[in-house]
Amino acid sequence: MARYFAEVEEIKKRGRDYTLDIDIKPNRGGDCFSHLGVAREIAAILNLKLKIPEAKVSPDKKLKSEDLVSIEVKDEKACPRYTVGAVAGFKVGASPRWLADRLRACGLKPINNIVDIANYVMLETGQPLHAFDADKLEGKKLIVRFAREREGIVALDEGKYDLSRDILVIADAKNPTAVAGIKGGRLSGIDKKTKTIVLESANFDSRIIRKGSQKLKLRTDASWRFEHGLDPNLTELAVRRAGFLIQKMAGGKMAQSLLDFYPKKVFPKRISLDLNYAETLLGIKIPKTTATNILKRLGFRILKGSKVEVPTIRRDISLPEDLIEEVGRIYGYEKIPALFPQASLIPPERNQELFWENKIRDVLKEAGFTEIYNYSFLPAGRNLVELKNPLSREQKYLRNSLIPSLLKNIQNNKNYLKPGEEIRIFEVGKIFQRPRQEEKMLTGAISGDDKFYEAKGVVDLLLQKLGIANVWYDDYQASPKDSSSDWWQPGRCAEIKIGQREIGFLGEIKKEPKAAIFDFNFSLLQKLFSEEHEYRFLSRYPEAVRDLAVLVPLLTKVEAVLNIIAGAGGVLVRDVDLFDIYEGEELPGGKKNLAFHIIYQSDKKTLTSQEVETIHQKIIKALEKKPKWQVRK
Amino acid sequence: MPRKELKIKTKGDWIDVTVPGRKISTGHLHPLTQVRRKVEEIFQSMGFSVIEGPEMETEWYNFDALNIPKDHPARDAWDTFYLKNGLLLRTHTSPVQVRYMEKHNPPLRIIVPGTVFRHEATDASHEFQLFQVEGLMVDKTISVANLKAVIGEFFCRFFGKNTKFRLRPDFFPFTEPSFDIAITCLVCSGKGCPACKRTGWMEVAGAGMVHPNVFKYSGLIPKNWQGWAFGFGLERLAMLKYKINDIRLFRSGDLRFLRQF
Repeated sequence: MARYFAEVEEIKKRGRDYTLDIDIKPNRGGDCFSHLGVAREIAAILNLKLKIPEAKVSPDKKLKSEDLVSIEVKDEKACPRYTVGAVAGFKVGASPRWLADRLRACGLKPINNIVDIANYVMLETGQPLHAFDADKLEGKKLIVRFAREREGIVALDEGKYDLSRDILVIADAKNPTAVAGIKGGRLSGIDKKTKTIVLESANFDSRIIRKGSQKLKLRTDASWRFEHGLDPNLTELAVRRAGFLIQKMAGGKMAQSLLDFYPKKVFPKRISLDLNYAETLLGIKIPKTTATNILKRLGFRILKGSKVEVPTIRRDISLPEDLIEEVGRIYGYEKIPALFPQASLIPPERNQELFWENKIRDVLKEAGFTEIYNYSFLPAGRNLVELKNPLSREQKYLRNSLIPSLLKNIQNNKNYLKPGEEIRIFEVGKIFQRPRQEEKMLTGAISGDDKFYEAKGVVDLLLQKLGIANVWYDDYQASPKDSSSDWWQPGRCAEIKIGQREIGFLGEIKKEPKAAIFDFNFSLLQKLFSEEHEYRFLSRYPEAVRDLAVLVPLLTKVEAVLNIIAGAGGVLVRDVDLFDIYEGEELPGGKKNLAFHIIYQSDKKTLTSQEVETIHQKIIKALEKKPKWQVRK
Repeated sequence: MPRKELKIKTKGDWIDVTVPGRKISTGHLHPLTQVRRKVEEIFQSMGFSVIEGPEMETEWYNFDALNIPKDHPARDAWDTFYLKNGLLLRTHTSPVQVRYMEKHNPPLRIIVPGTVFRHEATDASHEFQLFQVEGLMVDKTISVANLKAVIGEFFCRFFGKNTKFRLRPDFFPFTEPSFDIAITCLVCSGKGCPACKRTGWMEVAGAGMVHPNVFKYSGLIPKNWQGWAFGFGLERLAMLKYKINDIRLFRSGDLRFLRQF
């Protein structure tokens, strides 16, 4: 069955019988939420003849439905068909064992023979039925209308429901006596004294039933079937079948005539079956006789030309593609060969964003970072995109930063790792901002105190590998508007800039767990990526190294010192390497000592020690021009 | 007990070669990234471009344009997170099909990896945030036979040469016909075991021929084009490949898990 139609989730033995739990997809709800529908499929698959349940009643000629009840449908869009039949002369009692067993096997509770038969016929045919006690209907009326404001109903199971104007009801002359297509009311329910019933077999608009069921938070076997859309031509078979069973099992007789409101009869659709199209779509040629035979088995009629008549029960079939699916699945998808498409040789476009994203991942992995995928949610925060229906309080908002989750990762992992073990993690993911922005971010963290320079080293490496040059680090001035400012350690943060543009952020976290974080907006970064890389000429001449130490005020930036060295030194200074920063008691108050290796080299010749000394002295002089700086000799 | 690094001090020429080597600490790429790269590599080699799309999506792209009408029970298959800004969290990567076809004319071959969200309770095999890959191929005569060839090639390269797959009827509003795709159970190689509920098969993907309405909503003339689409969850693929037993591990941030990859 699963091969041609639907998945069988479970097969269970029940006494001498079996139950099959079949996963019917929503498109087949209209015809296959029923044993008859599934039987029709099996008959088509196995090429057997389908047996329709017996529904031939021998009516009571004196009993007339119209004497017991009159029907009125106020809105024919909401209720395209309303069929009722009266039944009298039965005895209300318990159902026979086999019937009760079958209901239970399908998850329904047996109540009494009349209600059980109505439910049983629903299971058989897919058409929900409802039985009203005819004597309890005020004014002998059944009116299909929308509920009035402030109307309510007590259901058969004693549940109370407040109705509203968009909920369809069945009312007698006074009150709603059932919620149409969803649940019956207590007022007109069947009890032991019931002598005459009115059996309702109706067709309701699927959307109205679905909305009503959602609004009342009431899902029933009936509403579930109606919301999938039923064939209006099904009502008559169902009501007669129920009449037949009541006659057979409870001794009742059905009225000679049914009352049937059915202003716009639904006729079968006609669709072309184009076998050439089927061949290009499926990739296999199915002979015409095979295709038409399959369709016939499924209850379709083959007309002259290439037209096919679709039975009205198959409300899911409306396009030529739908017919092709019917033919294809019964023919067997396993028969379709695997053929590579004949497509033009167009090389795929490189997705630049993903290319660089992957590059970043690789660089960080090389630098010892482990990649994390976190959830995109946060429990709290200011100005966040909020969910209408969160799963839990922890996931009320969409994240506007990757940082909180990474800090949580550090906290959680501490328990598993060696004490003091450093955690290096990063994530590439989307963040969300009000009103409707989403942006890709790259954020990394190194756990522990005093990790600013380590994180900075990683950022430098990363930017270098991405071909991003001319980056500088600016002091971070927290603005009161900045919502993230409360987690940064003042004085230990930097804005990463190119020109005056901030491209990222680097800083230490104030609270536990302590960490240094780098945070980049991926789309800003992306504009700067470059695969250009130029080889630097290797000089054939030796380099000379001189050391230099300078005392400067505590707040002097290394960059300022480096700029002066570079400016005074000129082209022969190949490199300057800061190797020590010292702030100690033996130093004069308010000063720190910076120590550099300066590497001198020329491309054209070996520098003499005299030449090196001249430039070195020039640098020392330039540095000492600053009033509070002192080069140590 | 705090563990200490091993200190080794040896004399002479002989060393004990059975002493464990010094631990080198390296970083790790997330298993989903690794699986995703493999998937992208295979499809790129068959001419597919990799495309991304937004995670906050409109109701139109996530549902209506994919032929999933409002107030239709078919929508119940996608439990959805709705946002107060009027958008929703996409429940699948399929909206990118429509977004892409609006801007590009066939022939086209794309795959769409991305995060998706499902409003459902979690357990060892259910997760509310997932990583999906969508595939789409459209041209004049693209058929089910072509789908079989491409997807079969993918499974063989991903899971190994002997991997078989099968198509069965299924229902998705945005494809017609629609298929459920299963591969031979990787645990028992198709003999039948508890992992595959004794069927020998494991469902891994959904697929189908692009529904004419989806072409129409994307601004293409349905009768001019044919194509197929498929979708699968990367977590499921990764779980099968690495024999991971709990889907929640992927987003746990647990380094004991992540450092194994």
